[in-house]
Amino acid sequence: MPTMDYQGSSLPFASIGRSILSIRRDQVHTVHAGRHHDPAALDLDLEALQKRVADLFLDLSSSDDDLLSLAWVRKLLDGFLVCQEEFRGILFGCSQGRRVNLSRPPLDRLLSDYFDRAVKALDVCNAVRDGIDQLRRWRRHLEIALAALSGGGRTLGEGQLRRARKALTELAILMIDEKEAGGGSVLTLRNRSFGRAGKEPPHHRRAGSGGAAVSSSGHHRSLSWSVSRSWSAARQLQAIGNNLTPPRGNEVTATNGLAVPVFTMSSVLFFVMWALVAAIPCQDRGLQTHFWVPRNFSWAASITSLHDRIFEESKRKERKSSCGMLKEIHHMEKCIRHLTELLDPVDFPWTEGKETELRQGVEELAEVCNTMKDGLEQLERQVREVFLRTVRSRTEGLDCLSKSHHPE
Amino acid sequence: MERSQTVTQKFSSFSSSSSSTSGRDDKPREIDRSRSLGPVKLEKSYGKKERDTETVTIEEDEEEGQEEEEVEVVVVVNKEEEASSAPEEPPEASFGSISEEVDGFLSFLLSIDDGRDQWPEPPAMPEPTIKKFLDFVEEELVKYESGKDGAPPPANDELVLFDAIDRVAKLTSALSIFSSDTKYNKAMTRASSILRYAMCFLEDEFHSLLEDSKPKKDTGTARPKTKRRPSIGHLHDAIDRCVPPPSEPDLAEFPSTYTPEIIERLSGIAGAVVSAGYATECCQVFTISRRNAFDVALSNLGYEKLGVDDVQKMPWDSLETKIATWNKVFRQTVEVAFPREHDLCEAVFAGHSAIAYSIFHNFARGVTVLLLGFAEAVATTKRSAEKLFKVLDMYETLRDMVPRIDALLRTTESEPDDSSAAHDLTTEVALVRSRLGEAVVAIFCDLETSIKTDMGKNAVPGGAVHPLTRYVMNYLKYACEYKNTMEQVFRDHKNSENPSSQVEDAAKGGSDDNHNPFAIQLMEAMELLHTNLESKSKLYRDPALCSIFLMNNGRYVMQKIKGATEIHQLLGDTWSRKRSSDLRQYHKNYQRETWSKVLACFKDDGLQARGHVAKPVLKERLKSFNSMFEEIHKAQSSWVVSDEQLQSELRVSVSAVIVPAYRSFLGRFSQYLDPGKKSGKYIKFGPEELENYIDELFSGNPSSMVSRKRT
Repeated sequence: MPTMDYQGSSLPFASIGRSILSIRRDQVHTVHAGRHHDPAALDLDLEALQKRVADLFLDLSSSDDDLLSLAWVRKLLDGFLVCQEEFRGILFGCSQGRRVNLSRPPLDRLLSDYFDRAVKALDVCNAVRDGIDQLRRWRRHLEIALAALSGGGRTLGEGQLRRARKALTELAILMIDEKEAGGGSVLTLRNRSFGRAGKEPPHHRRAGSGGAAVSSSGHHRSLSWSVSRSWSAARQLQAIGNNLTPPRGNEVTATNGLAVPVFTMSSVLFFVMWALVAAIPCQDRGLQTHFWVPRNFSWAASITSLHDRIFEESKRKERKSSCGMLKEIHHMEKCIRHLTELLDPVDFPWTEGKETELRQGVEELAEVCNTMKDGLEQLERQVREVFLRTVRSRTEGLDCLSKSHHPE
Repeated sequence: MERSQTVTQKFSSFSSSSSSTSGRDDKPREIDRSRSLGPVKLEKSYGKKERDTETVTIEEDEEEGQEEEEVEVVVVVNKEEEASSAPEEPPEASFGSISEEVDGFLSFLLSIDDGRDQWPEPPAMPEPTIKKFLDFVEEELVKYESGKDGAPPPANDELVLFDAIDRVAKLTSALSIFSSDTKYNKAMTRASSILRYAMCFLEDEFHSLLEDSKPKKDTGTARPKTKRRPSIGHLHDAIDRCVPPPSEPDLAEFPSTYTPEIIERLSGIAGAVVSAGYATECCQVFTISRRNAFDVALSNLGYEKLGVDDVQKMPWDSLETKIATWNKVFRQTVEVAFPREHDLCEAVFAGHSAIAYSIFHNFARGVTVLLLGFAEAVATTKRSAEKLFKVLDMYETLRDMVPRIDALLRTTESEPDDSSAAHDLTTEVALVRSRLGEAVVAIFCDLETSIKTDMGKNAVPGGAVHPLTRYVMNYLKYACEYKNTMEQVFRDHKNSENPSSQVEDAAKGGSDDNHNPFAIQLMEAMELLHTNLESKSKLYRDPALCSIFLMNNGRYVMQKIKGATEIHQLLGDTWSRKRSSDLRQYHKNYQRETWSKVLACFKDDGLQARGHVAKPVLKERLKSFNSMFEEIHKAQSSWVVSDEQLQSELRVSVSAVIVPAYRSFLGRFSQYLDPGKKSGKYIKFGPEELENYIDELFSGNPSSMVSRKRT
């Protein structure tokens, strides 16, 4: 019996709830309330945020081979959450201390633009959550292959090898389909996949193991997405990045400097969402967006270089055909290709050398599988956390805005 | 024929018992049965020598894979009869006897697995038997598959096949113990190929059963009701009962399950596939097919998947409709689709409760998360007063559905690892629910802001009920229809940001209400309304009209509260008594402001000097009374008291004060006036006339008595 791990997709929601709830507003209050009567304290906070963002992106851009790995994406999200928390503290401090009137133009407009972007980011979070679900479903195929090929230390029968190959080929087809879905027209693909499964007579299907996979990959094609079919990640990213311009000098002065963190957070938010869409399969991906940060921001160089590197990478041939640039997906693809070739039924039975090669392939597969298992769960939890905290900080922000509108 | 029926009966009785008792209770009995069988088989093939070891091994095997054993045991018994009756079978080697031999060999191999080292040479393998067995299975598979496009095969054929497949799976695994041996390796390769072939075939079969055998959508004429067996009827009851009115989401749209025949076949395939170790594929196919069916049903129901951003941009009246649909869809999903899906999982994966549980849980989780997305989006929208009631509806839906989800997830006996799964899902629902709750609190508290900021500079003509009073009271009355939910929401989600001063303010109304934050909030709103109305009353220059305005609004408030027991309970008797006494005070103020000057005309002081009535003073008094009364009549008949009772109370009280005083004044002094035409100049009104005029006050119709007098 293979181990039945159908709980893979369930998350300890409880932990999210707790961590969110434990960040009580009053903690923020005690830190910041009162401090912003003092202009110097506000400046210090603004500087601290700039430094935090700069450190985050410097760290993220420091290693080359880590780019867009699960660990990298998680680091990005963690960093984002921290920055968002600091930003939230600054706003709250301002509204409590009445040092800066949040509802005075142009700050009110800047803030409400930022919160609009945040709402749009929520949809990206949901789409990415779907994408993670998708990856998790894909991982099941890897698990089948792994279970078939591990065989408890005993010699593998041809059936097991074919079983593994079938699972991998099906997965490869699912991934190609996803790519077509992600890159091309959304509607055509979904409709196509509807009618496809299992209409032809069954004995035609199993002419070769490849043939079987082609037809039965339809059995594994999920049609469920939480976003509507017309939703497009590319368009959403454009909407988030729309009018994202650095503040002008007079805006900075008119807002007591607050225009700077608002712009900073808007840029970080955009980049985080853009990177998520780059990494994770989701509907109608597209990375072609305008993104520019003036050099005088301490984080400009690193964030721009990351953006450029990812964008360049996305244009490379092998990545172009991929449904997501997550490093583990790439790894998975390589692994599948390698094993599928190895498992070509023409070569049965095998030579000694091939067995060794297969063993290595299986080890590699196991590694990808394991990384994905823990990594995806943690990533989903984080994406959820980003969603929840974004909602919360927006609600609070809008509260602050409306309270400053109606001083009691 | 007869025999095939026995097989079916036995099989179905077995599967139904295991599905109803989640398989566990059956275990001891099954083990007993197989234990008694094991030795018999062995004696035939390998003699008594190995009997003891054999029995032990079977027990161990039982512990690892009870499910596999369960299926096998039952069918093995029938196999012999079955196969021997098949006409195409060569008489010298029936499939039954071959299977038996294979079983014997299998048990033997398993018995020596642990002590493999003691077997430098693999034991002799009954090659011809195994070859015959595999040939037979392959042949059956091909036969079965080619006949599949027509009518479904008889159930017993399928059972025989599943049983054979199960044996192939066991054989494959047992042979691999000595796979370094060429013969073994060859046999194993063949067996594993056949097994894989069978698995592919069953996967396809399983998939097409799931996809193609859904009861066709009801076209209004033929319902396949009659075909359903009563025993599994509870799966279908919900479909049959449902005759939805056109505007309601159609329950029949939810993925229905299958006929008992199909479920039986699905269950047979699932059993065979799971025990051959291909559970993951099977679960995957099942999970995805059912989820896709659900999503198609959702879109047929007109449920649109909306992004957070879409919801923000949507005009309220459209969103209101979507929320109504969502409420229905969510309730029906939990009440209809979930139990249906739960029963289907249990039936198809009968005897594999862990698998059934995880598939159902996965389904419930995916669907719930999908539907929660919309609630989350609504909770994120800009807060405004009109949204309160719809948000409350959503809150109530989530609150009511959680126990049901929880119950479904807990009914299945699950692995210890899964116990947190139900908890996680309900926590997720609770999280969204609390977001909605926070929205409710915020929206309701916004009412205070709108009361505070309603600072119109124009007084309502005639001192009538102010629109703000009507709005606030109707809103509160409606909100209090959700009293229990509101109290719960405020208790759970009113966060700590409430400054203590507010609580103290509100606590004036009654100390009992301190632990009811909603009541406090309500009181607060009432206080604010009161304060606002008092400041609005200052807009009237006439203090009497100011009192009438307060009285009107106060009366309106009291009437509303009288009409809604919920608000009345929340505010308490103390509050009502206080308000009633306020009203009486306004009334007194009005009387004083308007009528004390009038009454002053009837005083004796100054009229009589040294026993004589001063006629000019008397005339002056009467003249001034007449003009005062005319003026009052002119002004106050345009004032508005729309509450009939209040209107008549006011008139009665005015008459009661003025008319007797006037009557007695005339009684005392009219004699001093010159009789004749001159008296009519000073005494304009008879007491009855006066009463009639008083009855014209507060009618909202400005009428001049002068003009009427002339006509």
